[in-house]
Amino acid sequence: MSGFFDAFTGANLGYLMGGLGITIGVSVISIILSLIFGSIVGVVLFERFPFFSSFVGTLNNIVRNLPLLLIIFFTYFALPQFGFHLPIFWSTVVAMSVFQSAMLAEIVRGGLEAVDVGQFEGARANGLTNMQTMIHIVLPQAYKKMIPPIISQMISLVKDTSLASGIVLAELTYRGQIVYAQNTNFIVPVLIFMTVVYFLLNYGLSLVAKWFDSRLA
Amino acid sequence: MSMIEFKDVQKYYGDFHALHDINLSIDAGETVVLIGPSGSGKSTLIRTINGLEEIEEGQLLVDGFDLHDPKTDMNKIRKNVGMVFQHFNLYNNKSVLENIMLAPRLVLKRDEAENKKIALELLDQVGLADKANNMPSALSGGQKQRVAIARSLAMKPKAILFDEPTSALDPEMIGDVLDVMRDIAKDSEMTLLVVTHEMSFAKAVADRVIFMADGRILEDSSTEVFFENPTEPRAKKFLSQVAHH
Repeated sequence: MSGFFDAFTGANLGYLMGGLGITIGVSVISIILSLIFGSIVGVVLFERFPFFSSFVGTLNNIVRNLPLLLIIFFTYFALPQFGFHLPIFWSTVVAMSVFQSAMLAEIVRGGLEAVDVGQFEGARANGLTNMQTMIHIVLPQAYKKMIPPIISQMISLVKDTSLASGIVLAELTYRGQIVYAQNTNFIVPVLIFMTVVYFLLNYGLSLVAKWFDSRLA
Repeated sequence: MSMIEFKDVQKYYGDFHALHDINLSIDAGETVVLIGPSGSGKSTLIRTINGLEEIEEGQLLVDGFDLHDPKTDMNKIRKNVGMVFQHFNLYNNKSVLENIMLAPRLVLKRDEAENKKIALELLDQVGLADKANNMPSALSGGQKQRVAIARSLAMKPKAILFDEPTSALDPEMIGDVLDVMRDIAKDSEMTLLVVTHEMSFAKAVADRVIFMADGRILEDSSTEVFFENPTEPRAKKFLSQVAHH
């Protein structure tokens, strides 16, 4: 067995780090999009608008109950058949964002329901509109309660970007496979490398979450 | 001119008839106390006045607006009708000062410097000038309720509804809150409707007392007549019960 570090030539390391960049890129964009759309859908579910909310709720349930890989296949292989051609990076972002928005919407709805009804009544009686009540009073309190579940959802998002290796997006996992395909001696070092990188990424995310939590508490 | 007027109002929760044939007129500037046993519909009645509860039948006019008309913009009424709740309902995510300044800023678009000046004056009026930058969680119940009163006053409303404002307070806190309410009743032109079990407060400040039971108004008399010589037997019984504890 050759040396453990033989796998990490300059070229291989640069290639893997490039993959990490794509992983982070997909993650960050998907996190931002899913926070926005997840919040909107969550509020729609919470408000129980006649017809509209149950329609959105049904769509949301369908998305939540599909495997993410299926959604990735759909955006990459099926959307072009309907005339929507997305580059592979953006197919992944769309799939991740749709799936995570659906997951976050349920968290947001639950967080809103956990806010004391007195907060709504106090604000409405004070003359605030429904929208002002949501933005200034209810959502900030709901997000505070939602930080831990949102962060664990973000962590699974980062991990799930590896599924995009299934459509040959050159993110970290896919590039790892390419590197150890050169030489079976590289399998263990590269997998250990990927383990450490994913761990640091997600552990970093949970530290950020803890910091937020203590700032807001 | 009447500020609040109920005409044959009915309110149901499913099959339960919560408000029966309510006819009631409260003039601008009047202080009216609403009493009755629990479950009598007092809170339901007061909550219909700013639309926190909807009525099913009849007409309810508040400040000239018909609340039963779906075209009525409820926010216009709420701007002029404040409410103080049993459980305070202060904004948990805002400081005391922000609790008072938020609605005037968003709803009345009041100038920021003036808004702050008014808020600080109101805090002074309720005896909490030193708590401006505290969060609500750092206050006692009595302090929270006084902030809630200041928050309502900041909108300069035409009327304030008090829904059992001292019922959730420790006994030693009640006096401070009632003192603040007494001053408002004496010094202002506002219409005040107060649901309470504090009979000495009712005697001291109310122009009129309304007694409710089982969703009906059973007696509507001047304060003097109500306490000296109530006509309704259930009101007599209620008074003797509250007098003995």
